[in-house]
Amino acid sequence: MLHSEPPLGEGIFPRFPMKSIFHICAFVVCSALLTTTSLRADNPPQKISLSDFPAAAVDEVVVPVPSEIFAVLDKLGNPNWKGQLRDGKARTPEDRARTALLLGNVIAEGFVAVEAEDAERVKELGRQVLTLAEAINVRKSVIARSKSITDMADQRDWKGVRSEFDGALQDVRSAMQELNDQDLSQLVSLGGWLRGTEVLTSIVQGGFAKDGTELLHQPELVSYFDRCIGTMGKRLRKNPLIVSVRDVLRKIEPIVNEGGDKIIPAQVKTIHEFTHGVNQQIVEGTGGN
Amino acid sequence: MNLRIAQSFASLGRRIPLLGVAFLCFVPLLHATVDDALSFAYEAALPYYKQGFSIRKDAWGGDLGVKEKKAVSSQLFRGNDYWFLMATDVKGASLSVHIYDDKGNLVDAESWQKGRFAGVRVSPKATGTFFAIVQILKSPEDRTPWALVYGYK
Repeated sequence: MLHSEPPLGEGIFPRFPMKSIFHICAFVVCSALLTTTSLRADNPPQKISLSDFPAAAVDEVVVPVPSEIFAVLDKLGNPNWKGQLRDGKARTPEDRARTALLLGNVIAEGFVAVEAEDAERVKELGRQVLTLAEAINVRKSVIARSKSITDMADQRDWKGVRSEFDGALQDVRSAMQELNDQDLSQLVSLGGWLRGTEVLTSIVQGGFAKDGTELLHQPELVSYFDRCIGTMGKRLRKNPLIVSVRDVLRKIEPIVNEGGDKIIPAQVKTIHEFTHGVNQQIVEGTGGN
Repeated sequence: MNLRIAQSFASLGRRIPLLGVAFLCFVPLLHATVDDALSFAYEAALPYYKQGFSIRKDAWGGDLGVKEKKAVSSQLFRGNDYWFLMATDVKGASLSVHIYDDKGNLVDAESWQKGRFAGVRVSPKATGTFFAIVQILKSPEDRTPWALVYGYK
């Protein structure tokens, strides 16, 4: 027989001739390649030179919200969060700069209270957020958040509370930007970052050194906060509390510029002492107006 | 965040009839805006929100010419997963976003690009500063508005 039957396939294609299977496979591979090409039309270089991007072609860093850091801390273990909670209630300052810093500080404290699963403290902090927001004319932006924080704390919906504190921070900042209060908006972020860093360094010192220390490697962020203060109005820049905050940023910047694994325990302690000191000033009003 | 995204869609929905009228009356004045690009970026982020990613309200945006690139710096933390979603509202445009570390090494875990949307996932091996490089690959416009959002979990 000159023209024998084409060989039949085996396995999952037992009834199809081998030639047909080849054609089907070729079609599938081509289709897959075409699909891949359309989903990834560009071919990015494996390495680029960042110096090719002048300052004008680089957008400023977006400050991480506290839950980005707490999401990592969740995976590290179970620190003594109750031990990190700050006692007492700060009085609402008359100085708007200090109020903005304190508002950020209180929101960050809310995250600590969530981690400690302290419903009463969470509710109290939710109310403080509302009071402080009122003092800087952005109360309306957080009324619903404050209520949700209380409701969710009662239900012990900690994930929900965390989301509301995140939302409160972002809503307050947006409301301030709408009021052209960019500087105060940055101070809210900075206040949150300072309290978050104080707590983080405390936890790292308490035995979560290896992975926790790496979270302190935030060079661009510290430099960004410093630049922000540098562009604020003269009156704000000369505010004694802001001067103290900037001084702390400049002292810790060389440390956080180090790679995470290069930050030694003594440096973690230093960052903690600096941030703890300036946060006390924010809460108690010493060093400010 | 859910509320925010819902509001974005609701406001987009409310605007559609108005945009139609505006288009008929003021065709030469109608230009794509970064706000519209942002609505599309949130649209691209929606599937990831449903997968448990928290989507940030803060976003980057602007306009770029074709083949023009911009670097967006971002502080990322090892232990988190991130999705960056970029979009434009310009029909017929395509764009890309990729993530590089502070030494200029590509660190994309996966990426996709589909017309006016692009996305990239990154799982940082170290905490630090990263750069999202955004680019307009092609566009019928001279300047193409774009917006970039990110989510984490």
